Amino acid sequence: MTNGHLEDLLRDWLPRQRWFAGKDRGAGSVRIVSRRELHDTEPVLLHLLVEVDQSTPVAPVPTLDSPSGSKFVTYQVLLGVRSELPAQLEHAVVGSVEGLGVVYEATHDHELMQRVLSWVHDDAEVEGIFFRREPGAELDVAAASLVLGGEQSNTSVVFGEQSIFKLFRIIVPGTNPDLEITRALTEAGNQHVAAVHGWIEADVDGTRSTLGLLQEFLRSGTDGWALALTSVRDLFAEGDLHAEEVGGDFAAESERLGMATADVHTAMAQTLATGTADKAVMADLASAMQTRLDAATASVPSLAAHAPAISAVFERLSRRGEPAALQRVHGDYHLGQVMRTDSGWVLLDFEGEPGAPIEARAALSSPLRDIAGMLRSFDYASHYLLADHAGPAQLEYRATEWAERNRDAFCVGYAKAAGRDPREDDLLLRAFELDKAVYEVVYEARNRPDWVRIPLGSIERLLAA
Amino acid sequence: MTVPMSEPERPTDPQWYKRAVFYEVLVRGFSDSNGDGTGDIKGLTSRLDYLQWLGIDCVWLLPIYQSPLRDGGYDISDYFTILPEFGDLGDFVELVDEAHKRGMRVVADLVMNHTSDQHPWFQASREDPSGPYGDYYVWADNDIGYRDARIIFVDTEKSNWSFDPVRGQYYWHRFFAHQPDLNFENPAVQEAMLAVLRFWLDLGIDGFRLDAVPYLFEEEGTNCENLPRTHEYLKRVRKEIDDLYPDRVLLAEANQWPADVVQYFADGDECHMAFHFPLMPRIFMSVRREQRYPISEILAQTPDIPDSCQWGIFLRNHDELTLEMVTDDERDYMWAEYAKDPRMKANIGIRRRLAPLLDNSRDQMELFTALLLSLPGSPVLYYGDEIGMGDNIWLGDRDGVRTPMQWTPDRNAGFSNCDPGRLYLPVIMDPLYGYQGLNVEAQMRTSTSLLHWTRRMIETRKRHPTFGTGTFSELGASNPSVLAFVREFGDDRVLCVNNLSRFPQPVELDLRRYEGVVPVEMLGGVHFPPIGELPYLLTLPGHGFYWFTLPARRDDG
Repeated sequence: MTNGHLEDLLRDWLPRQRWFAGKDRGAGSVRIVSRRELHDTEPVLLHLLVEVDQSTPVAPVPTLDSPSGSKFVTYQVLLGVRSELPAQLEHAVVGSVEGLGVVYEATHDHELMQRVLSWVHDDAEVEGIFFRREPGAELDVAAASLVLGGEQSNTSVVFGEQSIFKLFRIIVPGTNPDLEITRALTEAGNQHVAAVHGWIEADVDGTRSTLGLLQEFLRSGTDGWALALTSVRDLFAEGDLHAEEVGGDFAAESERLGMATADVHTAMAQTLATGTADKAVMADLASAMQTRLDAATASVPSLAAHAPAISAVFERLSRRGEPAALQRVHGDYHLGQVMRTDSGWVLLDFEGEPGAPIEARAALSSPLRDIAGMLRSFDYASHYLLADHAGPAQLEYRATEWAERNRDAFCVGYAKAAGRDPREDDLLLRAFELDKAVYEVVYEARNRPDWVRIPLGSIERLLAA
Repeated sequence: MTVPMSEPERPTDPQWYKRAVFYEVLVRGFSDSNGDGTGDIKGLTSRLDYLQWLGIDCVWLLPIYQSPLRDGGYDISDYFTILPEFGDLGDFVELVDEAHKRGMRVVADLVMNHTSDQHPWFQASREDPSGPYGDYYVWADNDIGYRDARIIFVDTEKSNWSFDPVRGQYYWHRFFAHQPDLNFENPAVQEAMLAVLRFWLDLGIDGFRLDAVPYLFEEEGTNCENLPRTHEYLKRVRKEIDDLYPDRVLLAEANQWPADVVQYFADGDECHMAFHFPLMPRIFMSVRREQRYPISEILAQTPDIPDSCQWGIFLRNHDELTLEMVTDDERDYMWAEYAKDPRMKANIGIRRRLAPLLDNSRDQMELFTALLLSLPGSPVLYYGDEIGMGDNIWLGDRDGVRTPMQWTPDRNAGFSNCDPGRLYLPVIMDPLYGYQGLNVEAQMRTSTSLLHWTRRMIETRKRHPTFGTGTFSELGASNPSVLAFVREFGDDRVLCVNNLSRFPQPVELDLRRYEGVVPVEMLGGVHFPPIGELPYLLTLPGHGFYWFTLPARRDDG
């Protein structure tokens, strides 16, 4: 099987995958940059790194962590090859190659995934790929595997009820912050992360780079977004009751989530790099925010009415004299990144923005950036059920009330654990929130125009507060 | 040596309590045989056919002993006499015999910790400090001892010590001042209490619910609860039972967190059963919150118990939700949450029956009953809840949930043929729950009634021993409003899926370990699609639930 055949198959197949960035653009040239035969008898296991030309600009406006601008994106692909495909693997077919057999996505093949797990268990090195087991982690190599749906940028495979393996799809050289941070927090004994069980790495462009992460599987967990919506749904069904009166009140959960977040931030500050932002750093941050605002206003006219007031906030930030503490942060923090388990909240996915260079993702930031992300998420959760139809004014009012109550509870919980209320640094927090909401306005205007009113409404409230 | 009477009718199964369905009866409120307006033991005996029809395995009686009734009979003034308005020992023996003939059991409340101040032991103790009973109670010259023991009835009692002017000393009481604590340090008290137990066991009783069991011993510098010597004594009681009265049970009333209650199981050599108190309010919380975490959490925190032991679980009982559960323990924030929900507070804090708590929603009553019958433990039904009886919040204290059982639409709901004014409490007469419409007779005639539904559920449960003895494992479910779990005992496997939300919900269950199995719905016997390797999709109506058996795969042999 030549690479040429495979590249042809992948050119069609890749853009149809959920984790393919920029589906609207399709794949230009597809080039296999590394090909490893991890197992050479049937079923064959192939490991590929595929470079795809995605030269159209990625983001509609520059974001806070603007990707490097590189037009080539490297994807990791695991393929199985069999002469004949059993029926239960038919849904995973990539295509057929004459004389060889059927190529399919290996993550769906129990046999091949068990092989991967055994290699992690044995600390094996196969064809230059290093499988690593976290010391002390016990793995059941006989556990059946299952690919989870719903992942956006990676592919996750559950082994039994014990471990979950995340196959990173976009590969950039270096240690993935998800591995780095989760390991550091696991070793520090933090209860709010899913313990690392192992990982996979290889040299990419001469740098040891993370390819996959094996973690404790939170069997009974539910993501925070689903849980928050349950509460909002309950509130809307009781239109005459206030957010604090309904049985589905979420404030206690939000408060505990705030505590867990503070706990993780504190542990990250203790175990990983920290720094301080002086006036110049703040001015740079404010100016980046302003640049994004200008671009956004140009593309979404309805934002213009608020632009001067938002600029005023950024302007105040640029003149701020007081230094701010910097540390490693989650980077993409919202209700979908946290899981409620039987014993409390767990934070997931510390990888930052997939595809961005590792240095950018590991950059120090204010923890308020994460907090702003979560506060925005509460706003979204409260209005999500009303998003595709204008609800009665009563429900809109209740939704805002729910958001305020839970945003407040989150900050109270954070303050309890951190010793400092994030709202004390009102200017920076508000700037982060406005910056995020501006990004959301552009995103919604392009993808879901009916929804623009969610971030616009938030901007109005943030400016009025 | 005491030899138990031979009773050929008694069903013999040393672990019967692990599979039994219990039914809590207020003798006073169940059936009146002599027309004095108060239920009695003969009345209860006359209703055993009904309980047998319903599928009840064991009747649990609240205190039946001689008492001044200043604390609902928990203030016993003679351990060897039945409260006269309930009948006499002959009636009791008849009840037990008739129950045994029907394959049913009878257990009763017993208070070991304290007596009424009217008990002759206390009278003798206060009058003759050096006499044989002088040391039967905990006496002291001052009221400064055992400072670390909390006061349970903070509303009415200022101290755990009260002064007795007759003896001129203070006596110790963990509950009301009229309930002096027995002095278990005194070997004579230990023996006397064993004699009480033997007396009732010899009459054929199948076990005791031991009231206020954590407080038997006191020790300076402790909170005087769950002390090692209390456990030592309970072990001694258990040994006596195992040696002489096998297959009788001890049920501990220790209103504490499961992690603390498990000490009463010890190594399977102390109590057979204990109530799981925090589960009940959490079932209510879960349905109010429309998410499973309150239940999942408490079950995840519940330690494993020895094989021969069992939890008792309930939805409602004769008591309110007691505030004894308040704890400083940071692990548990249940009460903080509970207090944040004024509707819960208003509903559960006061004493209500199941139906009014659930706004008389049939869907919810069915969901709650299905949870009661499928979560780990032996279910305890409260009399009247099987027909969805209401309560009377205008009656004081706990009486609102203790009104007469509603048997028929006739005078006094068929409970008694006395003049209505003579009833110990009025029957429920409101338009929704009134006895004219809501009664056993009417529901027996209607095949779709809650009563028939409950009976079918109990019958279904009893076909599957796994509900009583099986392991419990919660399934990860994609939807937080759905509580799904598997009970497994050998090849008896049951999958229960419950929608805690009022809205229809989908759920994807990870059932990989049962790949190839065809789930069979238990009430209708309908075969569902076989389990594949992908998540198993189910949709449930609001407050709906499914019970499935998971039979072995054909190729499992």
